[in-house]
Amino acid sequence: MQEKWVRKIRAGDQAAFRQFYEAYAGTAIRTASAITRNREMAKDAVQETFIRVYRQIGSYNPTLPFDPWFYRILTNECLRLLKRESPLLNIDSIENEPSLAEKSFEQLTELYDIIQALDDSIRIPLILKYSKGFSEKEIADILGLNQNTVKSRLFKGRKRLKEQLQSIREEDLS
Amino acid sequence: MSKFDERIKSELEQQTRADVHDLKEDIWNEVNVELFEGKKTIIKRRKRWMPAMLIAAAALVIAFTLQSKSGMALIKGIKDMFVPEKEIIQSIEGQDEPTEVYLNEGKDSEYIIYVDESRYKMIKGEDADIITTIEPLPEKYPEVSMEIKQYPTDKPETLVKELEEKLKVGFPDLRAVEIVSEPIEGFWLHGLTESTWDGKVIDVYVMSNGKDGSFVITEKYFLEAAEGHGARFHHMLQSFKIIE
Repeated sequence: MQEKWVRKIRAGDQAAFRQFYEAYAGTAIRTASAITRNREMAKDAVQETFIRVYRQIGSYNPTLPFDPWFYRILTNECLRLLKRESPLLNIDSIENEPSLAEKSFEQLTELYDIIQALDDSIRIPLILKYSKGFSEKEIADILGLNQNTVKSRLFKGRKRLKEQLQSIREEDLS
Repeated sequence: MSKFDERIKSELEQQTRADVHDLKEDIWNEVNVELFEGKKTIIKRRKRWMPAMLIAAAALVIAFTLQSKSGMALIKGIKDMFVPEKEIIQSIEGQDEPTEVYLNEGKDSEYIIYVDESRYKMIKGEDADIITTIEPLPEKYPEVSMEIKQYPTDKPETLVKELEEKLKVGFPDLRAVEIVSEPIEGFWLHGLTESTWDGKVIDVYVMSNGKDGSFVITEKYFLEAAEGHGARFHHMLQSFKIIE
């Protein structure tokens, strides 16, 4: 199916591009939203990603898997926006972000907050693994890292999540 | 997947679900305007016209001036119609990369191409021109090059069939010939020896030379370099223009 979409998008087929959007947008929005932690930024990142995919589909090598190529563009776009906005990204802007600010304290889940508090080097591989189900090799391709590095970061990430959850539980019990 | 893995997956899904619902249609509307209905599309089309008009003008002037010796002196002026260097934004592995590219003329000034001279050099040969890395790659890497060759008396339709047969020997899984409009308008052949990091990749483009012959552009690189050298060759080839 991907091969068919790629061929049709290359030929400028708008209907095929819309179908492709319908198939890919959901997970792309989820991933961008988790990476950027900001709804507006996620929107910009996903929008720009689809525009780039349409315009630059010619530079995609069809002999390689499509999803890592697509998510490399998306991840890079998220990181670019995060970097650009970082001087402005203070506590106020995060608190004003609808998907976090509109929730009461009780609604904020422990686990999601712990994931989002992790360092980006661990947080982003975890998001790619659990949002889209990418393998360690695919995550390595997307982020331009060594596969062993990804393996180690995922291991550290899961370990830290378990430790943090455990420590919260112990605090609640005491 | 362990229960803990499932919990992480489920948390991420739940916490971002509302964003999908809220943003999906908005994003599509913006993408649709930008790509298919917006002003930028019109501007882009106009921009594409400009180089085409310049090239057509250049071709006409060359056709007239080549008739006389004095006309030859004007050729330099024609080449001046193309800016000697410019900055392009190329997408390499999903990242925009501003790159200075420099005007290069092909054999007998039959074409022009902008080359990323920070990484590549153009070697002019008797029969063909080759763009390759400035420094030779270590031996463990397969060849990385882009060859541009003109076949003055072979039509693209005939030539592509001959090339397909020849390439099948070294690339048994050669893909069927495709007609493409990017990076150039013509036929495209694509082959890969094996799916390892150093698997040899070949892209061959066959296009009309505007008369009775063809230009054949052969890109060689390896699988791991597909989105590096492969993408850079693609961007350089987009600037390829025939001077008739």
